[in-house]
Amino acid sequence: MKSRTMFMALSLALSPAPALAQATGSLTVAFGAEGTTLDPTKYSAGVDHYFIGQMFEQLIRYDTDLKPVNWLAEKWELQQQDGKAVIDIYLRPGVKFHNGDPMSSADFEFCYERLKDPKVSRWSHLQANVEKFEVIDDLHFKIHFKSPDGDYIAGALQLWALPKKYFEKVGEDGFAKAPVGTGPWKFVSRSVKEELKLEAFDGYWNKDARPGVKDLTIKIIPEDLTRVAAFKSGAVDWIDNVPPSMVAEFKKLPGVKTFTAISGNNLYIDFPTYNPASPFNKLKVRQAVAQAVDMDAIIKSVLFGQGERYAEVGKGSTGYNADLKPYAYNPKAAKQLLAEAGYPSGFETPCYNLTTPREPNVKEMGEAVFAYLGQVGIRCKAQGLEYGAWINLGRRGRSGPPEMDGVLMWMWSQGLPGDPATPWGGHLHSFVAGKGWGSYSYTDDKQADSMIEQLKGTMEQPRREELIRQIAQYKHENVLGGITTYRPVITLAWRDKVEFKPWPFPGAWRGFQEISLKK
Amino acid sequence: MVDVDASYAEIARRPSQIVMRRLFGSGIPWWSLLIFSLVVVAAIGGDNITPHDPNGLDLGSAFKPPSWLEGGSIDYLLGTDNLGRDIFSRIMAGASVTLTVAIYAIVISGGIGALIGMVSGYFGGVVDTIIMRVVDIQMSIPSLALALVIATVLSPSLTTVIVVISITYWTWYARIIRGEILSLKERDYVALAKVAGCSTATIFVRHLLPNILNTLLVLASLQVGQVIIFEASLSFLGLGIQSPDVSWGLMLADARNYIGNAWWAITLPGVAIMLTCLSANLIGDWLRDTLDPKRRQL
Amino acid sequence: MLSYILRRVMHGVVSIIGASMLIFVISRMSGDPIVLLLPVDAPQSAIDAMRETMGLDRPIWMQYLIFAGKALTGDFGNSYRWQMPALNLVLDRLPATIELALSALLFSIMLAVPLGVLSAVNRGGWIDTVGKGFAMLGQAMPGFWVGLLLILVFSVHLNWLPAFGAGGVSHIILPAIALGWYPVAAQTRIIRSAMLDVLDSDYIRMGRALGAPERLLVWKYAFRNAAVPLVTVLGVYFASMLGGAFVVEVIFAWPGLGRTVVEAVFARDFPVVQAGVLFTSVLFVVSNLLVDLSYGLIDPRIRHG
Repeated sequence: MKSRTMFMALSLALSPAPALAQATGSLTVAFGAEGTTLDPTKYSAGVDHYFIGQMFEQLIRYDTDLKPVNWLAEKWELQQQDGKAVIDIYLRPGVKFHNGDPMSSADFEFCYERLKDPKVSRWSHLQANVEKFEVIDDLHFKIHFKSPDGDYIAGALQLWALPKKYFEKVGEDGFAKAPVGTGPWKFVSRSVKEELKLEAFDGYWNKDARPGVKDLTIKIIPEDLTRVAAFKSGAVDWIDNVPPSMVAEFKKLPGVKTFTAISGNNLYIDFPTYNPASPFNKLKVRQAVAQAVDMDAIIKSVLFGQGERYAEVGKGSTGYNADLKPYAYNPKAAKQLLAEAGYPSGFETPCYNLTTPREPNVKEMGEAVFAYLGQVGIRCKAQGLEYGAWINLGRRGRSGPPEMDGVLMWMWSQGLPGDPATPWGGHLHSFVAGKGWGSYSYTDDKQADSMIEQLKGTMEQPRREELIRQIAQYKHENVLGGITTYRPVITLAWRDKVEFKPWPFPGAWRGFQEISLKK
Repeated sequence: MVDVDASYAEIARRPSQIVMRRLFGSGIPWWSLLIFSLVVVAAIGGDNITPHDPNGLDLGSAFKPPSWLEGGSIDYLLGTDNLGRDIFSRIMAGASVTLTVAIYAIVISGGIGALIGMVSGYFGGVVDTIIMRVVDIQMSIPSLALALVIATVLSPSLTTVIVVISITYWTWYARIIRGEILSLKERDYVALAKVAGCSTATIFVRHLLPNILNTLLVLASLQVGQVIIFEASLSFLGLGIQSPDVSWGLMLADARNYIGNAWWAITLPGVAIMLTCLSANLIGDWLRDTLDPKRRQL
Repeated sequence: MLSYILRRVMHGVVSIIGASMLIFVISRMSGDPIVLLLPVDAPQSAIDAMRETMGLDRPIWMQYLIFAGKALTGDFGNSYRWQMPALNLVLDRLPATIELALSALLFSIMLAVPLGVLSAVNRGGWIDTVGKGFAMLGQAMPGFWVGLLLILVFSVHLNWLPAFGAGGVSHIILPAIALGWYPVAAQTRIIRSAMLDVLDSDYIRMGRALGAPERLLVWKYAFRNAAVPLVTVLGVYFASMLGGAFVVEVIFAWPGLGRTVVEAVFARDFPVVQAGVLFTSVLFVVSNLLVDLSYGLIDPRIRHG
C-alpha cells in the first residue's frame, strides 16, 4: 500500500489542481492489433482488453508496479463459511457509469450471469466453481464457491462492472453499438479495422489517475513498417509494438520517449513427453534439448534483445523464484546426454514452427532453435504452420489426426503480472478428456498432476505462491510441460509532448488511464 | 483474313521451319535470354554451387552488408540476413524453388486447361456449357482469395503452392484454347478428317494440337512472370513456400521485419524477382510477336 | 438484345451461386474455427456446445442451405471473430476497396494513354523504348514489394506522403501506385496497337494529305477511335484491381475488403470469408457483364447471337 500512496502523491503533483481536471485537446495513437469485441463478457483473447480496458473496469487491478490494488472494490476478503470458500466484496461508493447510472452490486451479479452463460461468454468454465452470487445490498455482495478456485484469485476476481439497467434498456445489439462502462474513457464511435474514438469521461470516479486529453483516437495499423512510418511522419503521436529491430533506433530518437516491458506472453518448446515411443519420453533427451539451444544468442540477434529469458515462472509473476535459473547453453553436455540416452548419433524428428507473427519474429526464432538442435544431432524435419493450423495441431483429444509427434514451438500467456496456474493446468497437467485438464499438454506425470490440482484448489495467495515455487522446481528438474525459452518484451513509443504512464492491466500496458498533453 | 489463314496453314504444314525462321529473325531479346539463362543455371546447380548453405545459420554474422559497401566482405557477396544466412546463396536456392513452381504450375495448368478447352470447344453443346459455367464460376472468385483458402486446407508447402497456382490458372488456358478450337474445327481439313473416319483422339492429336501449340507456348511464356509474382504474394502472406525451402517471396516476407536494419535484405530478392519476370515477359512478348501473326492481346 | 442481356444476367447469377458453394465447402475444410475462438483451457463440453450453437455440427449440405436461405434475406450470419453481422463488416469495407481499385485504375490509365499514344506516334523511337520499359517494369514487380519500397522512400525517408489508412487524396497515392502499376504494360500495348491501326487508316492518311496538324490528328481523331478497345476492357481491369487489392491493402493498412477477407481466411471466420468473397464475385460478374454489353453498344457489328 505504501507504493500506492506514493504513486498517488506523484500524480497529484502532475495535475496542479483536481478541480481543473477538465480534459482538453486531442490525441491520435496507433495499435498494431485490434480487439474484436467491446463487451467484457464476450472477450476471447488478451488483445480484446486493449479496447475493453479503456472503458470497463474490474474489482481489483494491478498498478504500475504490478502490485494488486483494490479498484472498484473498496475492500474484499476471502472467508470460510460452513467449510466452503466465500469472497466477500464491498464496492466503492459514488462510482458512475458513462450514462450516469450509479454502479451497484446488481451490475456485478448481471456480469456473473452473463459470464456463466456459454451462449454469451467463452469463459463459462471459469464460473463453474461458483455456487451462487449473493447480493447483500447495493454496495455489498458475496460469491459462494462449491469448491475452492485458485483461478478466481489469479484472474483478478473475474467480474467486470456491467451496466445492468442500460443493458436491459438498449439490448444486446444496442450495447454492442454503444457500450457503457465505468472506465476513464467513454465510447464515441468505432470503425472495425480502422479506428476507435473515445472521449474522456468527466464523471470518472478516480480523480487521481485519469486522462488529461479530451479526445482519443486509436488507429489500427497492423503492418509494422506502416505503423512506424505513421509515427515518424507525425500522423500519430503514440504507437505500441515498436518492431524489435527498431527499438534501439527509437530509444535514440530525439523528442521521443519509450517504455519497454514484458508483454505477458510466455514461450516454450514442447514435445510428446507422455508417449513412451517418443525419444522425448527420456529425461536425458529432454535435458539435452534444454542445453542444446543458445537462447541468449537467439534473443540477442533474432529478437534484437527484445525478450527476457525465464525459468518456468517469469520475474514479477506469482511465485517467482530468483534462485531457479534457466538451463545454460552446453552443446557438449547435450551430445553426451543424447549418447547416454541411447542416441549417440542423434535422431530425426518432425519440428513444428509457428509462422504467423503472433509475437515478433517467432518464425525466425523457431528456425534458429531447430538449427541449434541440429548441431547436437536432433535433426529437424521442419514444418511451418500458420496460426489456425498450428493451434489445431496442438490441441489434444481432437477427433482426427495428425497427432503432434515432435518438437513444437508453443506459447501460453500467463498474463500480467503473470500467474502460471491456469497455463500449467493446460500444458503441464496430463490430458484428461472432457475435464479441461491438459488441453494442450504432452506431459503425463502423476506427481505434477496432483500438485497442480492442489494449486487449483487453493485460494490463499501466500500458500499459492509456495505451491507454485514447488511445482516450478519439479517441472524444471524433470523438464516437464516444455522448456521455457523467453517472454517477449514490448516497446511503446510516444512523442514527448505527451505525458503517458503505462498501466499494465488490463490491456498489457496500453491502458490510457493517465495520458495528457504537455502545456 | 486471308493472310491469317494463310499463315496458319503455313505453320500447320511445316511448323518447325517457319518457327525457326521467325525466331531467329530480328529483335531477339538477348539480355532477357542471358538473365533467364543465369536463373536457370542457378536453379539447376542448386545447393551444389551456392557459396554457403542457404539455410546455414550463423548468428554471429547477421546483417552483413553487401560486399561493395563498408563493412561488407567478399565472402558474402550480397550480404547476410537477420540469421546470418548468405543472401546470394539464398537467392540462388530461391531460383530453384521459383522455377520449379513456375514450370510445374504452368505445365499442369496449361495441360489441364488446354485439354479441357479443346474438349469444350470441339464437342460444344452441353459439355461446353457445363465447362464454361465452371470456368465462369471460378473466374468470379478473386484468385488470391481462392488460393488462400485452398492453401489453408492443404497446409502450406511447395506442392500446395503448385496445386494452388495450377487451380488458379487452368481457366485462363481453357478459355483461350476453346476459342481457338471453335474456329479451327470449322476448317476444311478437320471436317475432312472427321468424314474420313479419324478417331476423336487422332483429330485432337494430329489436327488440333499442332495448331494450338503456338498459342500455348505464348501463353505459357507470358505466364512465367505472373506465376512468380503470384507465388511471391502467397509466400508473403505466409501461405506459400515454407522454410527450410527458400523462395524470393518468402525472403521478402522475412525481411520486412527488419527493413530498417538491412535494406539489402528487402531489396535484393525483389530485384531478383523483377529481373526474372522482366526477362520472362520480354521473351514472352518476343515469342508472341513472332509466333502469333494475328497479334491478338493474349 | 434484351434476351441476350437476360441470358448474361442468368449466367452471372449461376456463377455467383456456384462461387458461393465453392467457397462455402472449401473454407469449411480448412480447419476447426472453434479451437481458435475459445480460450485454450476451455473444456471439450464448451467446445461441443459452441459447435452446436454455431450450427457446425450439421451436415455440410444442410449448413449451406441454411446459409443460402438466410443470405437471400440479407443475413450472412455473425462473424465468429468480431461477433457482429458479417454483412456489416463487408459492406463497411467495400467502398474503400472500390475507391482504391478505381484510383489504381485511374493511375494506370493516366500512364498508359500518353505512353501508348506517344510510342505509337514515335514507333521505334526512344519514347517507345523507355515507355515500354517503364510499363514492363510494373508488370515485373509484386505490388506488395513496390508498396514497401514506396513507404520506405516516400513515408519513412522523405516524409512526403502518409503510409497508412484512408482519408484524402494523399493517402491513396502510394497504394494506388503499388496496385496500378502492374496493368500499365498491358494497357499501353492495347492503346499502342490500336493507335497504329488507326494511324494507318485511310481517313487519317486523308487528313494528313489535306494538311491537318499532326497533333490534332493524333489526339482528336486517332485517339478517339483507338481508345475504344481500352474502354471495353476497363471492367476486366477493374475486376483484376479488386483481386490485387488483397495484398496491397495489407501493406497500407487500407480499411478495405481485401484485408478483411485475408484475415478472415486465417481466422477461419467463415461467415466473413463467404460474405466477402460473394460481394467481390458480384462486383467481378457485374463489371464483366458491363464489358460484354459495352462491346455491343460501342461496336454494333458485334452480334449477340
